[in-house]
Amino acid sequence: MPVKVEDLVYVYSEGLPYETLALDGVSFEIADGEFIGVIGRTGSGKSTLIQHLNGILKPKSGRVFVGDAEITAKGVKLAEIRRKIGLVFQYPEYQLFEETVYKDVAFGPVSLGLSQRETDRRVREALSLVGLDFSEFSERSPFELSGGQKRRAAIAGVLSMKPEVLILDEPTAGLDPGSHMDILNMIGEIRRREGVVVILVSHNMNDIARLSDRIFVMNEGKIALSGAPAEVFAHDEFLASIGLRLPPVAEMMRKLRLRGVDIPEGVLTIDEAERALEGFLRRAR
Amino acid sequence: MIRDITLGQYYPGDSWAHRLDPRVKIAVTFVYILALFLIRDFGGHAVAAAALGVAVAVSRVPPKFILRGLKAVFIIILFTFTLNMLMTKGEPLIKAGFIVVTKEGLYNAVFMGLRLVLLIVGSSLLTLTTKPVRLTDGIESLLKPFRRFGVPAHELAMMMTIALRFIPTLLEETDKIMKAQMARGADFESGSILRRAKNMTPLLVPLFIGAFRIAQDLAMAMEARCYRGGEGRTSLHELRLRKQDAAAIFLTAVFLSFILLERWLSPLWFDI
Repeated sequence: MPVKVEDLVYVYSEGLPYETLALDGVSFEIADGEFIGVIGRTGSGKSTLIQHLNGILKPKSGRVFVGDAEITAKGVKLAEIRRKIGLVFQYPEYQLFEETVYKDVAFGPVSLGLSQRETDRRVREALSLVGLDFSEFSERSPFELSGGQKRRAAIAGVLSMKPEVLILDEPTAGLDPGSHMDILNMIGEIRRREGVVVILVSHNMNDIARLSDRIFVMNEGKIALSGAPAEVFAHDEFLASIGLRLPPVAEMMRKLRLRGVDIPEGVLTIDEAERALEGFLRRAR
Repeated sequence: MIRDITLGQYYPGDSWAHRLDPRVKIAVTFVYILALFLIRDFGGHAVAAAALGVAVAVSRVPPKFILRGLKAVFIIILFTFTLNMLMTKGEPLIKAGFIVVTKEGLYNAVFMGLRLVLLIVGSSLLTLTTKPVRLTDGIESLLKPFRRFGVPAHELAMMMTIALRFIPTLLEETDKIMKAQMARGADFESGSILRRAKNMTPLLVPLFIGAFRIAQDLAMAMEARCYRGGEGRTSLHELRLRKQDAAAIFLTAVFLSFILLERWLSPLWFDI
């Protein structure tokens, strides 16, 4: 489901002495099935931006379209919009509240007024998507799970709404490397299976470079830069000036090139680097 | 939405009123409130309002900001006003069915309404111009003499500081959880009262769990920094009375004597 944003402006604490301009004229279009990475330093407006996409925040001015519907229009049915747009907040495990994992994951579908059979089907599907075994976890209390498992259960609670656009705000913050990879692989899997739009907000440049079709770079409430990963990460000096860095692999490749090693530009991931270096070594021999 | 509550909030600034010793400000506010209850007629109110006007001007807090705080207690003011207007016996002014508005009732309503507004604005000026930490420093210092009667001054002040410190944190937490549950289709705004109360579960459970988590973290952080209560503890910012504090005390004394003088000079308020 395509998403379009026109000239979005948002102000926090308007009229108070600590008033801040959080979004300053943000516009973009996302095509169906795209994977978008959003980067930017803390306070650049990333979280504020994504909260506009399902109508939780209302902009001061500007418009948001999801599919054909303008969600910033008056009298729009937000419940319908929120079903289509799944928003996974930072540390989503803090939103768990039910007695069992099953009931918590079922909260969304039940709120939508779905039948018991459909709810049951969705809970099973969501739990399998996040890699939690149904028979083992469904009747356990979400509060006795480990950190990584809680995170998965909370994400399942959003997936059970069957969103057509999946937005994740730092879904792997504070997880161990194993759970980190699992969650990202899971996001890739959902995207392959369901063909949803994914918007991933992250500080991990490696993940962003590896997964995104396009990257939005936020700075001071504006999209300062956007494009394919190789394009965006070619602006290394600009990124450094707004508090961001290249992915580690790209950083190494840049340093090697500066020392006169003949490798192509735009190498961002370990696999690409391996190929580039192999090619270089073969030529050098 | 939740962020917009201004009652009891601090308005950052560096005015004369901001720099006053918190103990003096607490005492001045106390005297002001006392004076409000000594007032018997509108002349007294005029004196109190003028004094408050000066205080507001000196504090450099925009009146708009203060009025916004008043909005939160508007219902209470309206309630008092209506009750006073309808429940006072006397000479009838307006009669509509069983509703009788008397002359005394109207007088009482306006009088009480004014008193409430002055009271709220006056006391909110204290919190608007004093950082919560300074306020509790002041309270601790004022409570110190009562320690020998077993009043745990430091502990009380510490509890207040922590409570005040966590209001914004808990509000933020509430905001976050509300948004997260709304994204999952929770509905906090419609339905009957019973339905709405039930709909609060997805908000309240995580909020309580979060509050306990935060409390535990804070306790650990305090222990890690060797906190062990108030015994022998000194303050980083020692409270010291200065010239401006003496001036404020003097002005308050002048204000109080005006109020007393006005009360003594004015006829009893039934005579108007």
